[in-house]
Amino acid sequence: MASIARRILVAEDEGLAAMAIEDELLAQGYEVVLAPDGQAAMEAAARQPPDLLLTDLRMPRLDGAGLIRALRATRPDLPVVVMTGYAPAGGQEAFRRDGEAPVSLFSKPLDMDAVLAELRRLLPG
Amino acid sequence: MLVDPDLAWLHLLSDVGTGLAYLSIPAALVVFALRRRDLAYPWIFGLFALFIIACGTTHLAHAWTMFHPNPLAEGLIKAFCAAVSIATAITLWPLLPRLLALPSPAALAREVEERRAAEARALDSEARTAAFITNLAEALFVLRVERQGAAFVTETVNPAYERLFGLPAAQVVGRDAQAGFIPGITERVLPHWRHAVETGAVQHYEMEAETPGGHRVWQTVLVPMRNAEGEVERLLGSARDITETRRLQAGLVESARLATIGTMCAGLAHETSQPLNAALLWLRHARHAATGVMTEQGARLMAAIGVVEGQLRRAGDLVGRIRGLAAAHAGAAETFDATAVVGAAVRTADGQYAPDGIALSFSAPSAALAVTGTPAGLEQAVLHLLSNARDAVLEARAAGAAAPARIAVSLRQAGRQAVIEVRDNGPGVPEALRQSIFDPFFTTKEPGHGSGLGLSLAAAVARGMGGGIAAANLPEGGACFTMTLAIAEPTADGLAPLPVAC
Repeated sequence: MASIARRILVAEDEGLAAMAIEDELLAQGYEVVLAPDGQAAMEAAARQPPDLLLTDLRMPRLDGAGLIRALRATRPDLPVVVMTGYAPAGGQEAFRRDGEAPVSLFSKPLDMDAVLAELRRLLPG
Repeated sequence: MLVDPDLAWLHLLSDVGTGLAYLSIPAALVVFALRRRDLAYPWIFGLFALFIIACGTTHLAHAWTMFHPNPLAEGLIKAFCAAVSIATAITLWPLLPRLLALPSPAALAREVEERRAAEARALDSEARTAAFITNLAEALFVLRVERQGAAFVTETVNPAYERLFGLPAAQVVGRDAQAGFIPGITERVLPHWRHAVETGAVQHYEMEAETPGGHRVWQTVLVPMRNAEGEVERLLGSARDITETRRLQAGLVESARLATIGTMCAGLAHETSQPLNAALLWLRHARHAATGVMTEQGARLMAAIGVVEGQLRRAGDLVGRIRGLAAAHAGAAETFDATAVVGAAVRTADGQYAPDGIALSFSAPSAALAVTGTPAGLEQAVLHLLSNARDAVLEARAAGAAAPARIAVSLRQAGRQAVIEVRDNGPGVPEALRQSIFDPFFTTKEPGHGSGLGLSLAAAVARGMGGGIAAANLPEGGACFTMTLAIAEPTADGLAPLPVAC
């Protein structure tokens, strides 16, 4: 369990999945901010800057890739974990455009244990 | 009677000389008329000869009568000469226009020259036509109609015909066209031949078949030629090879269809993954909650959660495989040696198939074949083709085939493409299924055997590597899957990767 709660911004438009993820992250001692789309995530990040972004790719208003570019514009080192139902062609290689790489990519249905392990790696301590 | 002896001698010698000369000229005329049998009006030479002989005789008679005067005999001879002369003159004048109409030797020579030139032109034209027919891209053939269309004899074929049908001219020319053509196709073309004979109308038809030269699609135009009696005597056929055109058209349709299927699969995978994701996350939640319940109900709950989770994971794996189809050509593309990768796949398969008694052979060029893509993707694609071939040969064996199960893999370069062929001696691919076998989830296997994704994955890999995949049946039986890959273009910096389509 983290001694200082690290804040994870979760951008996921599937409410049921977002709730379950929130429970998992809270149980691991993270602070969680939920956003139902990319635009809402941008606004939430402005209010409460996250330590990590956990995002879906396909979302209303602003998609995951757009969100990553926008947040990395001011926080180039922001760790990003992507969860997607699509396998973007080229896997992580697909996030090659400026401001997108690097990302950790997980496909849905999520292997939650693997996701949690990756979060521990990206947010040590 | 002349009294001056000198004058008498002058008359005598002149008459004798003229007479003798007159007698010699007809001899020359007769010799000429006899030697030149092709003379027009040869009898006129006889008449001339008689006329000259008669004239000569009057001169000789005059010389004779100088010594033995006989006015009656001399008069009779003159009268005969006059009769012949008049007859000749009467005959000659009406004949004159006809003699003038005869061509002169110069005119004849001119005509001969003109005919020679025309003949040379005809020969030249014939040579041009022959060269044209020999080099024509379209197959040409001439069929002689026998017994009102009951039989046909192939009279001639050109080299394009030999190439199109894989039949040497020596094997068909002069032979019965029905027996000499390709078995199985003759029955299909024969109605068109007969119709051409019966109606005398030009026929158009299109055929698709396996020929000794391979799979062919061709369009034929059949032109009936009539003889003087108006009966159809010959059929002039020209056949255009449209195999490649059809293949390209089919390829375009196929690409569009697969693109639609691909988009649908990707959408399906995405939409299905969302509820699966939520369900699995909540199931995890349930598992945590149930973990502390150490009762019989708790154990049953955990067992139920385990079953549900297993089934959801199974669905998740399927979604993952469908996604793999769309992403088969993706990944970090690199330029690598296809020979090494295909060889590795063959060795892997050989180890697995040997216990089944399947002979697996591999031939490849000694030089490296540089292609661009992911080595793992290509290896998987080749393994799918091999697995498909193994199922085919085992199916043939189960059906009682006597021949030993064989799979032959070959790799070669053809132009700017690397060509991988996997041939088996199984039952072959039914014609009706040849396109569908590359569709995702298409399978001819029993439920539980094969997901129906292997060949579509191999096809996706081939397309991702700048090529394609096709299935054909071999004339000797069995199937041949041909996978083509683009050869990596060498650049100044060595080998450049192909652009990756995302």
